[in-house]
Amino acid sequence: MMQIALVGNPNTGKTSLFNQLTGTYEYVGNWSGVTVEKKVGLLRNKQGALIDLPGIYSLNPLSRDESVVTHFLLSEPFEGILNIVDASQLERNLLLTVQLLEFGKPLAIALNMTDVAERRGIFVNEKRLAEKLGVPVVPIVARTGKGCEQLNEQTFAFLQQKITPLQLFYGNVIEKGIERFILLVGDKVDETIPKRWLALQFYEGNRYVHDYLKQRVDAEKLHSLYTEVENELQKQEGVSLAQWIYDQRREYVRDLILHVVERKNVGQVPLTERIDAIVTHKYLGIPLFLLSMYLLFQLTFDWLGAPLSDALDAFFAGPLTDWITAGLAAIGASEFIRSLVVDGIIAGVGGVLVFVPQIFILFFFISFLEDSGYMARVALVMDRLMEAVGLNGKAFIPLVIGFGCNVPGVMAARTIEQPRERLLTMLLTPLMSCSARLPVYALFVGAFFAKHQALVVLSLYVLGVVVALLLAKLFSTTILKNESSVFVVELPPYRMPQWQALWRSTWDKGKGFIRKAGTFIFGGSVAIWLLSYVGPHGVNVEMDESFLAMIGGILAPILVPLGFGTWQAGAALLTGFLAKEVVVSTMNIIYHVPDVESLQGLMVSHFTPLSAFSFMVFVLLYIPCLATVATIRKESGSRKWTLFSMGYAFIVAYLLSFIIYQGGRMLGF
Amino acid sequence: MMAMTQLQSGDRAKIVDLSRVSELVRRRLLDMGVTEGVEVCLKCTMPLGGPFMIESCGQCLGIRRSEAMRIQVERV
Ligand SMILES: Nc1nc2c(ncn2[C@@H]2O[C@H](COP(=O)(O)OP(=O)(O)O)[C@@H](O)[C@H]2O)c(=O)[nH]1
Repeated sequence: MMQIALVGNPNTGKTSLFNQLTGTYEYVGNWSGVTVEKKVGLLRNKQGALIDLPGIYSLNPLSRDESVVTHFLLSEPFEGILNIVDASQLERNLLLTVQLLEFGKPLAIALNMTDVAERRGIFVNEKRLAEKLGVPVVPIVARTGKGCEQLNEQTFAFLQQKITPLQLFYGNVIEKGIERFILLVGDKVDETIPKRWLALQFYEGNRYVHDYLKQRVDAEKLHSLYTEVENELQKQEGVSLAQWIYDQRREYVRDLILHVVERKNVGQVPLTERIDAIVTHKYLGIPLFLLSMYLLFQLTFDWLGAPLSDALDAFFAGPLTDWITAGLAAIGASEFIRSLVVDGIIAGVGGVLVFVPQIFILFFFISFLEDSGYMARVALVMDRLMEAVGLNGKAFIPLVIGFGCNVPGVMAARTIEQPRERLLTMLLTPLMSCSARLPVYALFVGAFFAKHQALVVLSLYVLGVVVALLLAKLFSTTILKNESSVFVVELPPYRMPQWQALWRSTWDKGKGFIRKAGTFIFGGSVAIWLLSYVGPHGVNVEMDESFLAMIGGILAPILVPLGFGTWQAGAALLTGFLAKEVVVSTMNIIYHVPDVESLQGLMVSHFTPLSAFSFMVFVLLYIPCLATVATIRKESGSRKWTLFSMGYAFIVAYLLSFIIYQGGRMLGF
Repeated sequence: MMAMTQLQSGDRAKIVDLSRVSELVRRRLLDMGVTEGVEVCLKCTMPLGGPFMIESCGQCLGIRRSEAMRIQVERV
């Protein structure tokens, strides 16, 4: 199968094009950190695979997700490159194209955003561009699919062509340096990698290429060659190697643009600037952000989500349970099976599934914020606050994504350039109240705070953020001292998200939740039900005599000072490490009730409003779920920090719940 | 010649010197096409010493005040 790599700048419509060409589901977002994983899709004509790579400005990587591309070029097999170029930002896009052409693999250019460019009065003559560069250029609008048909047909024609790598003249010093470099490396590097390209990346200071070379060529000789050429250039031209190489490429690109672009005057203020005048307004920016968050929560919990969840709950508890009971009776199932299905599976899985509407609504709005381009503004608006606690504005994005699910949140931290800030962000993202914690809150606020549901839930979200910020300050001044934090963020133009793309990314994020209900929560429910069904003295025991009660009972004494020292709470929290929703499943099974409403009724005798709040705070903070822990382990590459992320969370949760419960009691709640 | 922080919102200026900007930020600015000789427009600034939003060639980006202070510009 032919492998084609999709490469381009961030926010050029790469994800949209990927979806157009492959027709597979793909996550579309405007924040440059969204496409962080290597994703492969089968092309619609079934003749090859398209590999989606993270958006980059240059092959010389600054952050971790950018180094993925250089790594790919150096060590993975592929037949050609599809380079997506934003027609409205030609100069910066073509700078990357030059580096790709120097690499010398067959390449085709998808000239995207031609509609945006034309609205700005930029007309690109694609024929002339193709002639000048010697590669096919297809104008497209990835958003609507215009031109993608043609691109799909041409994608294969270009792979057959042999192209000669682009050769710019970089001046005598560099050219001589390139010759010496080629002599030095000889045949010690892979055949498939053009040496001239390697030399240029080397002189540009591409860290990844340096590491690659060090494994193959005498590091000392490399170093002295580099410094010699650097000094020579400094003497003759007075600039650094990287700057000089950049300047030569830019000169070439500018000249190219003069030949292929025609500009017409269109005298209107783009919509983006008018919106930005409001949302990044000096004083309105932060209040507007908070207001939009508040609206998001009202919609998710009160206005839209709650009625839908109630309807679903009524269906599970009523008709569905009746049908299944009747069905089981009809086939003559034993009491054991009936109890397993009704008290175990329906109670456990159904208790979680009823929150699907709310979770989808939440994911929908998060996708909307990402796709519209608002997220990057949030980074800008929040930077001052984040700087005060030792992070930068970009760290706010993983935190907001963490509201949906902590796992992509932790992964989104890859766009942060500085390793320490990135680690800190990963450690703190699990404090964001993800949608899996929502069922727990929904259960408790419904029982104890019926009048102020949205407000109480919002307070938990805010608490998570506040704790994260305070800990950021603490950690960044003690164990994770930052040398200096940096912040540069691109603010893409606003774009009205497409319904299709929104629905896709909502579904992509939300389906994980449903899948979890079918696997983890299903399995967990069965296990928990079994533990509650058998005990040291036999099967079908009273719940208080079961193994589950024994296990939960071990934890209970520790939890007494927090206001919920029952074995039920202990068991629920233990199982909650699997996935936070399981807390609800466990409670449903333990309290042995058919639906959420009667569970809430029952809980009133086990919790007070104060201990319920203390419990919710504890669930919010006490430990990242299993999947998040695994992700932190993978992303940080450190067992020590993974253990730390679990340990500090537990301590903080315990302290806070303790203060809330004991303090609340003193105040007479 | 003056520091970018001396500009008012809405002012246009040409970048004259980036040499005092930190390495990482300079690279990022370069990536987005902002180098010496390029014309930029200061769009707005965030309160309490917050970041600056600048525009160059129809593209907006945000940088910190502390970095903007090190960018030398010339009003046009
Ligand atoms: N007007 C217009 N919008 C586009 C075009 N291609 C993509 N977009 C929009 O640009 C935004 C970013 O696209 P996306 O595919 O996420 O870009 P990526 O960050 O490069 O993967 C989305 O809102 C798209 O709908 C295009 O050709 N024209």
